[in-house]
Amino acid sequence: MDPTEAATQSPEAQRPQTQSTKAQDVAIRARGLSRRFGSHLALDGLDLDIPARATFGLLGANGAGKTTFIRLCTGFLLPSAGSVEVQGVSPCVDPAAVQRKLGFVMETSRLYPELKVEGFLRFCGGARDLAGAELRSAVQGVIERFHLEPVARRLIGNLSKGYQQRVSLAQAFIHDPPLVIVDEPTGGLDPVQKHEVQQLLRSLQGERTVLLCTHDLHEAETLTSRVAILNAGRLVAEGKTSEVLGRGDALSLFESNRRNPS
Amino acid sequence: MALVRKDLASLFGAPTAYLALTMIALVTALIFFDHLRQYNLMLFLVTTNTMGGFDFGTIPETINLWDRVFSPVMDSLGLMLVGAIPLITMRVFAEERVRGTDELLITTHLTPTRIVLAKFTVTYAFVALMMAVSFVYPMAAIEQGGVGIEHLAAVFMGLLLLAWGVASIGLVCSAFTSSQLVAAVSGWAVAFVLWDFSWANAFVSDEIARFLEALALYPRFAAFSEGIVSLANLVYFAALALVALSLARFSFDLRRVGA
Repeated sequence: MDPTEAATQSPEAQRPQTQSTKAQDVAIRARGLSRRFGSHLALDGLDLDIPARATFGLLGANGAGKTTFIRLCTGFLLPSAGSVEVQGVSPCVDPAAVQRKLGFVMETSRLYPELKVEGFLRFCGGARDLAGAELRSAVQGVIERFHLEPVARRLIGNLSKGYQQRVSLAQAFIHDPPLVIVDEPTGGLDPVQKHEVQQLLRSLQGERTVLLCTHDLHEAETLTSRVAILNAGRLVAEGKTSEVLGRGDALSLFESNRRNPS
Repeated sequence: MALVRKDLASLFGAPTAYLALTMIALVTALIFFDHLRQYNLMLFLVTTNTMGGFDFGTIPETINLWDRVFSPVMDSLGLMLVGAIPLITMRVFAEERVRGTDELLITTHLTPTRIVLAKFTVTYAFVALMMAVSFVYPMAAIEQGGVGIEHLAAVFMGLLLLAWGVASIGLVCSAFTSSQLVAAVSGWAVAFVLWDFSWANAFVSDEIARFLEALALYPRFAAFSEGIVSLANLVYFAALALVALSLARFSFDLRRVGA
């Protein structure tokens, strides 16, 4: 059997086991999740369980459907078909409840360059209904945790990309969420900045669920315990990181459907 | 409130806001003093021609401070607002989309309704400040000229409601696009189309003409300029704001389903 076909079939083979997973052990559950943009099917009938308190890697080439999946999880988009639950709540039904439980670090640092770091973090805390001493403590907490003390009073627009990414991480953790979604956290960073951000992500392992979306295989190998690979909106592999990425043909999982688009 | 504070900080943290306030004060002062100069000149010519000297008893009733200065200045100011306000509102939602920060706002637990309300509040507040700045010169001078404070208050209310009405149109246009240029141009187009429909009277039936006039901005504003504060005009501007708020809120839903 062609290795790509085998990999494509593996999620199907795993489904009975996946469906039997207890609800409290699952941070994100997608069933038949599809999303269409006009004639383009960005996500095609995705079935996926992301276990709680694990660092889970969502891999795929550009345009594979990773960001669409994230946007469906955050409630920013509605699915065309199927369902998704985040911490047991549907973002389609109650997006506010989902957003209370998650932190989101976007693909590129989408911040307000005209604001100072501290002011921006105060805004993010305030938007999450933190106030007074609780807000001050939360802002101070993330500033210390993400080593932002030297730049706390500087304008975000004047910071290096590495610091901007730390600010982006800090805003996602300000309300201490049980689930954090991190989309391409090291894209566009130099090797030193990349290493620093990866170190920060490593320090989060085990304490909460982290969904890490990346197309960097090395990053996924070093930071995640389980991975799923998307290709052209479909799940083509899912399992322990060492098993999925340890296979000799791992790269073919990223390319197979590109050559033969269906 | 967090978003209101953040947007105010962003607005007044950049020179654009101060530039806009300075420009509006400057242009209003220029228009006002030019009309005042013309009025003084007219006054001088009339009195010297008829009497050979200054005798205010001979000045025709039509040459007065209200008709010759204040009223045309308010008309110019109203039209100027239609041109200037879409330049202020164009960035409000469109810039968030271009930067991708609209997604950040949504995922920080701010609902679309809270986002829209905050954006409208900040824009309305800035426009009110702009109006206050532009109104200072005419008000101070005209109050000295014997126009009642009640009348001036009605004019200011009309000007403010017109500005908020144009801002509402501009905000809706900004909510439906990620291009600031498209937001500004569509804001101008809608505001100018809604400005006055009297040109259409010759082409349509009386019923349609009345309907179009009911939709137009200028006749409402003109009533306030004459010192008339009517409930119908207040309801008109309130309805305009409500429709704009609902449409801006709807733009978020539209984006969620990916239209």
